[in-house]
Amino acid sequence: MSIDPGTLAPLAVTFKSLTDVDFWVSVGVLAGIYAIVALGLQLNTGFTGIVNFGMAAFMAIGAYTMAILVIKAGFSFWLSLPLAVGTSMLFGVIVGLPSLRLRADYFAIATIAMAEVIRLFAQNARGLTGGNQGLFCDLDNPSNCFPNAWNDLSDSINNFVSNFWTDPPTLLPLLIVIWIVVGLATLALTYLQRSPWGRVLRAIREDEDAAQALGKNTVAFKLQSLAIAAVLGSIAGFFLALDLRTVHPLDFEPLVTFFAFSVLILGGMGSYRGVAFGAVLFWFVLEGTRFIDLPDPPFTETRIAALRLAITGLLLIGLMAFRPQGLFGKREEMVLGE
Amino acid sequence: MEAGQVTERAAPAVGEQVAERLRRQPWVGAVGVIALIFIALVIGEGLHDVAQTGVNGLSLGAIYALGAVGLTLVYGILKLVNFAQGDFLTFGAYMAYLVNVTWGMPLVVGVFWAMITTALLGLFFERLLWGPMRAKRAGFLQLILMSIGLAFLLRAIVQWFWSTEIRVLDVNTTSTVDFLGLRVGQTQLIVVIVGVGVLIAVGLMLRWTLLGKQMRALSDDLELAETAGIDTRRVINYTWIFAGALAGLAGVLAAAVTEIYPELGFELLLPIFAAVILGGIGDAFGALAAGMVIGVMTEWSTLVIDASWKTAVGFLVLVIVLIIRPQGIFGRAKAI
Amino acid sequence: MNDDGRALLDVDGVVKRFGGIRAVDGATMRIRDGAITALIGPNGAGKTTLFNVVTGFYRGERGSVIFDGKPVFGHPPHELARRGMVRTFQITKALAAMPVIDNMMLAAPNQPGERFRNLVLRPGAVRTREREVRKQAMELLEVFNLAELADHYAGTLSGGQRKLLELARALMAQPKLLLLDEPMAGINPTLGKRLLDHMQRLRKEEGVTFLFIEHDMEVVMNHSDRIVVMAEGKVIAEGEPHEVRKDRRVIDAYLGEVVVDTAAGERSPA
Repeated sequence: MSIDPGTLAPLAVTFKSLTDVDFWVSVGVLAGIYAIVALGLQLNTGFTGIVNFGMAAFMAIGAYTMAILVIKAGFSFWLSLPLAVGTSMLFGVIVGLPSLRLRADYFAIATIAMAEVIRLFAQNARGLTGGNQGLFCDLDNPSNCFPNAWNDLSDSINNFVSNFWTDPPTLLPLLIVIWIVVGLATLALTYLQRSPWGRVLRAIREDEDAAQALGKNTVAFKLQSLAIAAVLGSIAGFFLALDLRTVHPLDFEPLVTFFAFSVLILGGMGSYRGVAFGAVLFWFVLEGTRFIDLPDPPFTETRIAALRLAITGLLLIGLMAFRPQGLFGKREEMVLGE
Repeated sequence: MEAGQVTERAAPAVGEQVAERLRRQPWVGAVGVIALIFIALVIGEGLHDVAQTGVNGLSLGAIYALGAVGLTLVYGILKLVNFAQGDFLTFGAYMAYLVNVTWGMPLVVGVFWAMITTALLGLFFERLLWGPMRAKRAGFLQLILMSIGLAFLLRAIVQWFWSTEIRVLDVNTTSTVDFLGLRVGQTQLIVVIVGVGVLIAVGLMLRWTLLGKQMRALSDDLELAETAGIDTRRVINYTWIFAGALAGLAGVLAAAVTEIYPELGFELLLPIFAAVILGGIGDAFGALAAGMVIGVMTEWSTLVIDASWKTAVGFLVLVIVLIIRPQGIFGRAKAI
Repeated sequence: MNDDGRALLDVDGVVKRFGGIRAVDGATMRIRDGAITALIGPNGAGKTTLFNVVTGFYRGERGSVIFDGKPVFGHPPHELARRGMVRTFQITKALAAMPVIDNMMLAAPNQPGERFRNLVLRPGAVRTREREVRKQAMELLEVFNLAELADHYAGTLSGGQRKLLELARALMAQPKLLLLDEPMAGINPTLGKRLLDHMQRLRKEEGVTFLFIEHDMEVVMNHSDRIVVMAEGKVIAEGEPHEVRKDRRVIDAYLGEVVVDTAAGERSPA
């Protein structure tokens, strides 16, 4: 089903990709991964009022810890996952403890700085992280390969699927598992949000002093919120690693966090259901620029990358100017104001 | 009936006096820490290396400081955390490239062209985005995300026209000046002199001219300044002109000592934020001092750790400052 | 002065500086259990700052605060609130983007559902307590005539209704001592009267102790059992209304004009 650019009219824009299964699988996988990230942001920013610009660090720590444990230390894939989640949570708490008392704008800057420190660490601690090569399967020693355990599961899912659909896309199992996680996480977070625990978070978002004056240990709640975002971030990091089959510093640039913010804003602040819609819509457009056969010239590869960046930028500007509550957010719960 | 007793005011202990002094003038402590680092490095690495890297640090610091002054003015006056400031630097760098390389004119022309166009860019977005958003009473997160969107848009435009290819300005990178036994690149020296000169001029302007006083009034309370009869619109326009022109200059200087690529400004943004916070929001001299400190620290770090780590130094300084003293060290203390 | 009656709150020599300015400069006062005490003083006397230090929102430089027999100086606000010292704010902090009922339920103490682990392991206990809390919240809203507004967002309430909501919400937290920062400011006299009636009733029926900052001298003189007067960061007088009214220092520092005013005007207290 793949498109061969040579067989298509080179100068005309074609929309053939919309019927291409690979296009939809690629949109679905990325949308699912970003939906998980954006759910964490929704919890932090939408429901707790803490502007977390460091989600990429949680993803990086999750993915790198998993890959290092499997490739360098020979851990089993399944055991590495909880350890990686734990590491990411620990990082969240360590970062949160000193910085959560800062004003919101300072907290945002502090988190993006810490995320960059993590990324630079990944880039420079070559012995541990592979530096700019990233971490991938060692071809000489394929037993220590993080996608191995996943491949087995993936194959058995596709074997099952092939009963109904001959030759399913290789990424279909990943797509299915990712969206099951998105669904479960959305349900769990919605349940939490309706609980007394979620009520305290919303109070903190509205006015932290008021929550303290009513006996709530707001720092503890904010730390919990951050720790849960770390869990979601590291899960998204695992999926990204399985999708790309490597773990690389460039996959955890601040841009990743801001893509997730775009997803969040598109779906709407203060709405967990909106996140999934926002993610699909956002990646439909961005992957569209990759799959739609734009004529070259003027659309060179770097220009298409620029186009994606411009779309994201315009989306953020436009939504903030005209519809800050997003598609599904409630006007009454507008949390973007002071 | 019982009157409230006044607690006796014992003479504070010496330790308390020191603590109080540090609270009011934290830069004294910072200078002490820097002096200790300097001595330790001199003992460990020798005076020559420390001085040589220190000079490199000053040129880096001048770039940080120029970017920081614009950011700190906008932050102080408009309460806008402008994530697009880094991409203003990028824009300035490419504008200079256009004049200096594409059109083959002298770099000085490129510098002025970059400053003018970036200032206009700042004014343009004030009219198009920030003014209307202020009128809508947009919240802080709304503004911060909008500025991030603008940063992406600017980077995309640059990338569209100039691609991601690495470019350099037509500057003399080889000739050096020998100075007290140090070899200082001619371009670097010019960067330090221009940067510090411009910054001192801006600092004096802010302190002594009417416009500077009005800017500080707006920074304290925009609405109060408006009711006091200050033409806030004019002052805000000038703020953007300054922020833009200084960012454009910083971009050209950065391009002159390094290379030009679309992420240039965004990579400088976090150290610039560090300088803003370390210097105290809204304080131009604070930003100057803080930018220099961060620049020098960054270069000194290459004496003890691998140079590839040096970008992290600015971020670490930022994180540490935010944790121990978010209201800044080199500026006026303001409640955060 | 007659100093009988147990002190619920004992503040001694509290100092709070901002830069070089001593906003609170060695304030000392005793708040008697079960009394309604007014805290008065000219603008800038340090009343709100003292509130903030006592309730843990500011960290004071020096001094001691004993609440209910235990030293609490420098303890965090949420801990003090849990011990029964609950405050309101000068500018009402109604949680605008939350419904009125959620504002109320938030304040209830001992909610197992605020702990993560209980949400997973003891959902039954969480539900039971939620029902109790909701019932209690609705009862209180009835008392304050806010029951019909239970599902409205707090942001849609009028200024006076928000003040009532804030008081009702503070009561949900089951306070021993309620500190109210200018509860009467910016609301109409009828609503203000209702607020004062509520205070009197709560003191009588529930034994709640009140400390409130107020500028309206008529309210202060008629509705408080005791008065604490602050000026320039210090407590300059403490006593019953008739004593304070005659105190020379108080007249000099603050009351002078006001007392003359009220004596001359028709609003003069009986």
